[in-house]
Amino acid sequence: MRSPSPARYGPPSRWRVLPERGTVSIFELGLFAVALTMIAVDLPQTLQDVIIQTFLWAGLALAWNIAGGYAGMISFGHAAFFGLGAYTSTILSVHYGITPWVGMWAGALLAAGFGGALAMICARLRGPFFILSTLAAAEVIRMGALNWASLTGGAEGLSILPVVDATNMVFASKTAYAVLLLIYFVAVYVLTKLLEGSRYGLYLFAARDDEDAAGAAGINLLLARTSALCLSAFLTAIGGSLFAQYFQFLDPTHVLSPELSFQFALLPALGGIGTAIGPVLGAIILVPLSELLRGYLGSAAAGLHMAIYGGVLIVVMLYFPAGLAGALARLAVCRRKGTP
Amino acid sequence: MSTLGQLVYSGLLTGSVYALMSMGLTLIFGVLRIVNFAHGEFLMLAMYGAWAITAMLGLNPLYAIVVVVPAMFLFGVLVHRLIIRPGLDKPHIVLVFGTMGLSILMQNVALMMFSADLYDVPPLFGGRSIVIGPFYAKAELLIGFAIALASTFGLRFVLKTTYLGKAIRATVQDGEAAQLMGIPVPRIFLITFATGSALVGLAACVMMPLFSVFPTVGLNFVLIAFVIVVLGGMGSIEGALLGGICIGIVQSTSSYYVAPAYGQMFFFILFLLVMIFRPAGLLGRKGEATIGMND
Repeated sequence: MRSPSPARYGPPSRWRVLPERGTVSIFELGLFAVALTMIAVDLPQTLQDVIIQTFLWAGLALAWNIAGGYAGMISFGHAAFFGLGAYTSTILSVHYGITPWVGMWAGALLAAGFGGALAMICARLRGPFFILSTLAAAEVIRMGALNWASLTGGAEGLSILPVVDATNMVFASKTAYAVLLLIYFVAVYVLTKLLEGSRYGLYLFAARDDEDAAGAAGINLLLARTSALCLSAFLTAIGGSLFAQYFQFLDPTHVLSPELSFQFALLPALGGIGTAIGPVLGAIILVPLSELLRGYLGSAAAGLHMAIYGGVLIVVMLYFPAGLAGALARLAVCRRKGTP
Repeated sequence: MSTLGQLVYSGLLTGSVYALMSMGLTLIFGVLRIVNFAHGEFLMLAMYGAWAITAMLGLNPLYAIVVVVPAMFLFGVLVHRLIIRPGLDKPHIVLVFGTMGLSILMQNVALMMFSADLYDVPPLFGGRSIVIGPFYAKAELLIGFAIALASTFGLRFVLKTTYLGKAIRATVQDGEAAQLMGIPVPRIFLITFATGSALVGLAACVMMPLFSVFPTVGLNFVLIAFVIVVLGGMGSIEGALLGGICIGIVQSTSSYYVAPAYGQMFFFILFLLVMIFRPAGLLGRKGEATIGMND
């Protein structure tokens, strides 16, 4: 039997138009070009703020997706990693005068260690039990931050002095932050793409889709799952440090709340779990939309945009579980079939 | 010594009210194998219902049980039809995020309707305490304790002796075999989900004189409910009662002896310890936590 040659299914050139695993597509390059233009063009401050938040959330949603999407470890506790990153770099900078350029790596390592420990102690847990354990672990960290006031400032939080100083990661212009967060977002995206196309990525997919078969095939399940959560936690914590530097203020409600953990999971859920482009699509559509709606509707209809968000989430999960990325993938299949 | 006794006694009573609130969650998990992440918002909805009836008619909130419990049963039927049933045969993340979406939707609709204000009802019997031996307790808590005990044993009685109860237990043990024996499994799921929802309604009427209601009230309570059902063993009704009482006592004693703020931290740590050493909970079935749910 002859195996079908790839040329019969794929377009003749190496360049794909729509995102696929293991290659770079024109769609992704186009998005990158749009992002660069957004930074280069002189926009009003409020719009720049929306763009910065979008980059941050896209990076965070991608980081969540490494554990939740690829390794199948749905977490409702990623705020713990985010908060560990934000608090570590800020505490080091405020109390000990260590620059956040160094402190953010310390925070990331701490979060990765916590993630690894959590993955190991929850190694036996599956499905809802794992989800609830991540939620509980994040709550322990939040209570800790609330009560250890001498270090964290408790409920009043910590402020970073707004003295412009590039060596302390405090910039005057929003453009500098936009560049910084775009670098973060693109770095996480590239890492995700590399992981997706690698042998290690296949281990994670196997462990997620059929644990018994993966174990029988010789994959070290504990190692695969633990390292995935470590990596995800590491990247989330970097995002936390950048968030703290941008807002120059943090308290447990803003960086450690369960609502924040849910947000990490919801962007990939709407965009398409377990794909690289899904979390990005989720973030670039939902973050600006909710910011703009909040701006337009204001307090006159507090809650309306979130109510719509909840309703859309139900419909998407029940009827289009592959999310926005699923719609793109279907488009890609149609294109390929159309090619002679 | 009498301080400790009083703390344990108050913890026991508060814990039993928490247990009542968690019973619907554990029942639904035990039979349908899903975690309803909108459980807290079901409680919030029912508390607004109990508040509205009390405020409009000027009645004791316990009378609201007559309206709120059947209404929550019907609400459960509706949610099951629209969200739960279409998602049951899909991978488990569909209902994880589906019920999460429902929770966001309900929270924000409540925010639009009632704003973020706190509503409460006047205490029962003019806020008098009831003295038994050397111990004091709010009358509301004693009533809650009695209703929680009655619900636990009532539910146990129904599950052990009636035909419906036997059909539910058969479905839990082996859904396919139960279907082959002529048990209408989809209807068992519907009845269980609606009953779980009605139990939340009962808990809301008991809790209304004790706590205020606001749109995000569910989040605080649902976290406690998760801890309780995991501690007791997910799916176990008696386990929920035991877990609730443990949490109540841990909360009251640690708030007094350590610091109120650490009370919650203690029971989340307790939760993680249970997950590490006895993942099926105190009374749950062994191996429960390690098998994939609905995959």
